Parts: sequence; C-alpha cells; structure tokens
Amino acid sequence: MVKRGKLEIMRDVIQIIKRNKNHIKPTPLLRKANISSARFKAYCSELVDRALIKEIIEGKNRKYIILTEKGFRFLEKYKTIINFIDEFEL
Amino acid sequence: MVNMPPIGFLLPRDLGIDLIYSFVIIVCSLMIYRATKELYELSSYKGIKYFRQAFLFFAIAYFFRYFIRFLLVFFNVREISEFSPIFVGILSLSGFLYSSSMAVFYLLYSVMWKKWNHSRTKIILFNTLAIAIALIGIFINNMGIYLVLNLILLLFILFVLIIAYKDSKNKQKGKSLYIIYLLLFVFWILNVIDIMIPRFLEVYQLVIYLFSILLFMTVLYKVLKKSGS
Repeated sequence: MVKRGKLEIMRDVIQIIKRNKNHIKPTPLLRKANISSARFKAYCSELVDRALIKEIIEGKNRKYIILTEKGFRFLEKYKTIINFIDEFEL
Repeated sequence: MVNMPPIGFLLPRDLGIDLIYSFVIIVCSLMIYRATKELYELSSYKGIKYFRQAFLFFAIAYFFRYFIRFLLVFFNVREISEFSPIFVGILSLSGFLYSSSMAVFYLLYSVMWKKWNHSRTKIILFNTLAIAIALIGIFINNMGIYLVLNLILLLFILFVLIIAYKDSKNKQKGKSLYIIYLLLFVFWILNVIDIMIPRFLEVYQLVIYLFSILLFMTVLYKVLKKSGS
C-alpha cells in the first residue's frame, strides 16, 4: 500500500468532515481518517492553526469539528495544488 | 579601499531598453509570486514557499537593477556627482547580486528541499553565500576571479539539476522544466557578467535580454496555467 503524503492525509480528513455534513466528533473522525491517534492530534492541531478546520462545543461539552471557508477552498483547490507541485517538481 | 562599481552599471548604455527589460522581469516575477499566493496559503507547502520566494527575490534583484537606472534618469545623469555615485552604485550592485543569488538558491532549493533534509541551516548557508557573492562583486576588482566564481556556481547548479532530474517522477515533464531552469540560471549568470564586465557581452546584450524575458514569460505562462489564476 502506498504511504499517504501529508497533503493527502489533510485532504482525507477535510473530506471526511465535509461528507459528514460538516459536523463530526473527533472520535469517529479519527476512526475514519485511518491514522494513529498521535498523528491525528498533530494533524488536527495543524489544521486548526492554519484555519482549515474549527473545533466547536455544542450542548453538554460535546466537541465537534467543522470546516471553515478556507477548508472548503482547500478541497476545491486540492487538485490544482497537487498538479502545480507535480508540474514544477516541488 | 572600496572599489568603484563597474561604470557600465552606473552609467548604462541604453537606459530605455534596460528600464523596459527590468520592468518586464519585475512584472513577470511579481505575477508568479501573486498567482501562487492562494496555493501556498491553503497548503503551506514548503516547495511552493521556496518557489515563490525565488521569484520575489528575482523581482527585488531587478528592482535594484532598475532602481539605479531610474534614479539616474529621475535625478538627471549630469548631476550624478551630487548624490554620491559610489554609494548608490554599491548599494544597487550589492542589492542586485545578493537578491539574484538568493533567487537562484531558492529556486534550486524548491526542487531539492525534500532530498536536502529541510533545515534552517541551509537558508543561513544560502544567505551567507549570497552575501559573499555580493561582497566579492563589490570589493574584488578582478573580473577573472568573478568569471571563475560564476563558472563554479554554474557547474554546481548543473550538478544539482542533474541529480534532481534523475529523481524526477515524470522524466518527460521534468526534462522541459529542468531545461527552463538551467537556461534561467545561465541567463542569470550572463546578466551578472553583463553588469560586472560591461563590454564583455555588449554585442549580445539585446539577445540576452530577449531570451531572459522569454524564459520568465514561459515560467509565468506555466504558473498561470497550472495555478488556475
């Protein structure tokens, strides 16, 4: 099996959130993302820092993860980003 | 003692052509920088970052080239003695040599950063080398040394590009890209020689300018096409 690159994992995480009507709890997201808990934490924190996803608290302290506008834009532009990287061998 | 900057750099022969040439390169470079802004902001991908920085430095380098000529025109060449031509010459020449060297290093790094194990030390090393190149250009009044230095730099660039090409995933696509990069580096060196040794390439100056513009426009076209800008 080919190892996923960083951008690909980020795309997968963002896509899972989008497919879940832009509203998912961290545990099912971790399960569906198919990465280790430690890496998941690191990726989530990076995605939050880069304002691609957002953590919100609803109801009785229930944490959900949602996409920001930038997150949606990342998904839209993902193919372009990958093509650009391939074209210029970056 | 500080040497006089090359007179050709201070008193350009064809001011109009030089101004237009520098202006076109600055616009192309800034358009490349601008067109890749969103891709970098969304991905924070280091390769895109170094690629953008390379063209930002190209724009800065040609601004320094353009800047001195603009000053000469704006303040009238005949009154040049009134505002220390040596200082202006040294400032512009060192700015051009430093920025253009950084641009070349960043462009190389954009294709090699994964293999060279990305670290801050490399960026510090690039800065040190670029400063050394600028200082040699200003303080060592021996054009032979400068030609040899540029030759060594070109061989190093060639070596790096061959390694990068060998590891290229798509050899066919990679081939055209590395040829463009190699030509870009060759014409950068010719541009530097044209400034440092004004009469050395006088006959070919217009050809160098046209080819340099063509190369920048090719990269810009590829960037605009692939970035969806």
